[in-house]
Amino acid sequence: MTVARPRTLAEALGALEATPDAHLLAGGTDFMVEVNFGHRRPTDIVALRRVVELQGHEHADGHVTLGAMLTYAEIEADLAEDFPALAAAGRTVGSPQIRNAGTIGGNVGTASPAGDTLPLLVALDAEVDLAGPEGTRTVALDEFITGPKRTDRRPGEIITRVRVPRVTGPQQFLKIGTRNAMVISIACLALVLDLDARRVRCGLGSVGPRPLRPRAAEDFLSGEIDWDGPRAAPGAVRRFAELVAEACTPITDQRGTAEYRRHAAGVLARRAVERSLQS
Amino acid sequence: MRPTAVGTPVDRADARSKVTGTACYTVDVVLPDLAHAVVVQSTVPTGRIVRIDAAAAERAPGVLGVLSHANTPSLAEVPTFPQGPAGQRRPPLQDDTVNFDGEHLAVVVADTLHHAAQAAALIDVAYDREEAVTTLEAGDELPPSGIFGEAPDSVRGDPEAALARAEVRLDATYTTPTEHHHPLEPGATVAAWDGGRLTLYDSTQWVSGVRDAVAMTLGMATDQVRVVSPFVGGAFGSKAMVWPHVVLAALAARHVGRPVKLVLSRAQMFTSLGYRSPTVQRLSLGARQDGTLTAIVHAVTQQTSVFEEFVAGAGYISRSLYACPNVAVRHRLVRVNAPTPTVMRAPGEAVGSFALESALDELAAQSGVDPVALRLRNFAEDEPQEGLAWSSNALRECYQVGAERFGWERRTTEPRSMREGRHLVGWGMASATYGVHSEAAAARVRICADGRILVTSGTQDLGTGTYTTMVQVAADALGVPVERVTAALGDTDLPPAPHSGGSQTAASVGPAVWSAALDACSKVLALAEQGDSYAEILTRHGIEFVEGRGDARPGASASRFAMRSFGAHFAEVQVDPELGEVRLTRFCGVFGAGRILNPKTARSQMIGGIVGGTGMALTERTVTDRRLGRVVSPNLSGYAVPTHADIPWIDVCFIDEHDPHVNALGVKGIGEVAIVGVAAAIANAVHHATGRRIRDLPITPQTLL
Ligand SMILES: Cc1cc2nc3c(=O)[nH]c(=O)nc-3n(C[C@H](O)[C@H](O)[C@H](O)COP(=O)(O)OP(=O)(O)OC[C@H]3O[C@@H](n4cnc5c(N)ncnc54)[C@H](O)[C@@H]3O)c2cc1C
Repeated sequence: MTVARPRTLAEALGALEATPDAHLLAGGTDFMVEVNFGHRRPTDIVALRRVVELQGHEHADGHVTLGAMLTYAEIEADLAEDFPALAAAGRTVGSPQIRNAGTIGGNVGTASPAGDTLPLLVALDAEVDLAGPEGTRTVALDEFITGPKRTDRRPGEIITRVRVPRVTGPQQFLKIGTRNAMVISIACLALVLDLDARRVRCGLGSVGPRPLRPRAAEDFLSGEIDWDGPRAAPGAVRRFAELVAEACTPITDQRGTAEYRRHAAGVLARRAVERSLQS
Repeated sequence: MRPTAVGTPVDRADARSKVTGTACYTVDVVLPDLAHAVVVQSTVPTGRIVRIDAAAAERAPGVLGVLSHANTPSLAEVPTFPQGPAGQRRPPLQDDTVNFDGEHLAVVVADTLHHAAQAAALIDVAYDREEAVTTLEAGDELPPSGIFGEAPDSVRGDPEAALARAEVRLDATYTTPTEHHHPLEPGATVAAWDGGRLTLYDSTQWVSGVRDAVAMTLGMATDQVRVVSPFVGGAFGSKAMVWPHVVLAALAARHVGRPVKLVLSRAQMFTSLGYRSPTVQRLSLGARQDGTLTAIVHAVTQQTSVFEEFVAGAGYISRSLYACPNVAVRHRLVRVNAPTPTVMRAPGEAVGSFALESALDELAAQSGVDPVALRLRNFAEDEPQEGLAWSSNALRECYQVGAERFGWERRTTEPRSMREGRHLVGWGMASATYGVHSEAAAARVRICADGRILVTSGTQDLGTGTYTTMVQVAADALGVPVERVTAALGDTDLPPAPHSGGSQTAASVGPAVWSAALDACSKVLALAEQGDSYAEILTRHGIEFVEGRGDARPGASASRFAMRSFGAHFAEVQVDPELGEVRLTRFCGVFGAGRILNPKTARSQMIGGIVGGTGMALTERTVTDRRLGRVVSPNLSGYAVPTHADIPWIDVCFIDEHDPHVNALGVKGIGEVAIVGVAAAIANAVHHATGRRIRDLPITPQTLL
């Protein structure tokens, strides 16, 4: 097994070119689980920990770019003001050890339906910057994730940054699991009231093959909210919750039944709106 | 004894070594030239091995050898508990039959763990698969031949007639799932041969049991095997008996002519060290209108493997907890293509109490009697099955003190009548009881000329605090400060002691240490003039050390008195009515368990038991795929034990209890009574919160919607 430890993006891309079948390693909190379970048998690894271009976060006009190597611990500490729901999601991930190691690039790279940062990122229309042998490109996250643990990442490409539009207005992240920590979501939901665009933005996790945007529900509630409050009639909030539940395409597994997941998504949707309207 | 150390919250003797990482667990043992073994397991629940192709594995880098049934010598069977120390009677790698998914079929030894794991994946097994029974529900019920020497069925009075006449009657079925112990340290053995002598470093609750079992299996003299286990990273019953991987490590080391380390993976822990059998428990209660019990019928069905019998007496608790003239208990077994189950913290009582104490709560609701009052009404003045007097019984005080500390009188009767914000609040309680056990044990106490005292015994510290409490006992017997005393445990070269299970270590070994200390003391005193310290006397006589020996065995009191620990649990839950999420918000456990040697380590034991019971109530369950007979998600994400975020502050209280009958120290044992009744207390609190009676564990969110 070879392990390349590049310090720059160019070196990383070079290493990938030299060993085209290499696996990218960020914090290893998904990757090593797969290795331990025997699902992957890496022969070559390119470790991204030191690559400078993938670190930290930067404010650009209208959005913040998050380096792929940004950890949950950093998100909690540094992004609670820009993206309170992202920080909230980060706080629910694993344990302190996992949050010190796990990265946002890894969460996107794994593209699990239960990835806890993904609902907020899709709700905010985040985009993924990729660098590869053919140069760089930017793809909407919603399109980048194509299915459960499937992405449109091409051979030799590295996720460099995630671009997240800054949006004014309250944000919520809510998650249900079988216990209170170290837990994979049975259902999770991110909600943003985009006050400038007068638009409800919502993302759902663990209730479909990939993070979902319940667009019909968003459209409905966006039209019902009195944006000068913001206020909404209880009936409209309830209807929104029903539409969110309808948008789900969950499965039954060991953690929860499809019916429970759908029901829970509706409850979370209603609570998230109620909290946003109060705040 | 004028106790100055016993009964005080002395810090753990092994605390520093554990937090600084110098404590050497079996998984930490490194020997020169150490090779590593990885076990290969079956992937079908039943059938025959047509072929094991190990050629690719044998050629793989670093591989030193592969053992399978094709090249393993024939091994002797060892009886299972209580006749013998084996967890699984059937020795490994003896023939081509497969009896459960995850059975050990081969072991690969290589120079590194990585090489061994890689080669293990190359072993190709072809099976002739047969029809399997993969669940308890799918098989036929058979009567077990016995339960730890007791009859599986018993009747006192005329329960059927009493049920027919009962003013209040309850019939309900309760189920509990397969549960696994999951200690932090997995099953692990390091085997090293020196000619015909074998040394085993093993993570075990019973060093002499491992020695005896391995000697028997391999046809060796017992004194040719030494077992060392100074630190054990938790066990909960999973290491009480000797499982096949221990023998495999010894065989592998002999095969390759090097010391071998074999550590089970977390996934392998689901099939290699036993588990708590699932139960289906049918309970019928008859009572008078005021809640006085007139009949209990407790019928339990559990599973065992297809090749041997293990059964925990889940129904027995119904014979001894309450005064009731008519009681029938019945145990049945179903043979399933699964590993043999084993003991797990309070085997029997932990699951049996879920049924009995839930049913009592249902009876309380039906008859309109407060749950605590109902239990006080049915308090047993004498042991109800045998009619013996209790050696001591503080159950009434446990209820009273617990109710007071918890604020039970403020509980409203009606379900769904207490709220906190959007959450429903529920308060529930349950009784706890566990038998007092002890076995013969020996210890030595050495008083050295420099004033230091060394206690030795071939017992074990599973993390329970044995090192600390035995030091306290010796310190008090000799009248010296605990700082002067150290203990060495976990080695068959030390005086023999029984297995650390059944909450019996303190009760068995404590008296042996006590008498060894007195013996040593009297030897020194024989040389003494007044006012001398131990060190002065020995130095003056030019003696390096004096050693006392103590042997303790259960006294004759056991036939005159019934001996049990008791307790009462009080739980508060908050339930999210829309999502069904249950959060334990308050817990109080009060115990009458004889003399508490160390309130600090004892409190930890009780908290551990209560956390275990909380997992049982809310999260823990091993799921098996019915078609494959295979554990689904065999990892700690699939099997959810509670985390810190799931557990509130826990109020633990011990009733001051002096029992002159149990043993010289008045110790009853505490490790297991702590978990008994916890799941019922929580389920009862959930009922109080929601009005929903959940009779099937665990209580997951969707069960409440
Ligand atoms: C105990 C535990 C608890 C967990 N709890 C949660 C939880 O609560 N919520 C949750 O969402 N997740 C959880 N996870 C999963 C995991 O921590 C997260 O998905 C994390 O974000 C993965 O990041 P990483 O840096 O560790 O990725 P890695 O494991 O290093 O990589 C994950 C995948 O992404 C690819 N990858 C990584 N970086 C890049 C890149 N820059 N470009 C292209 N591909 C890349 C890798 O090749 C790999 O396929 C948990 C994991 C564990 C072990």
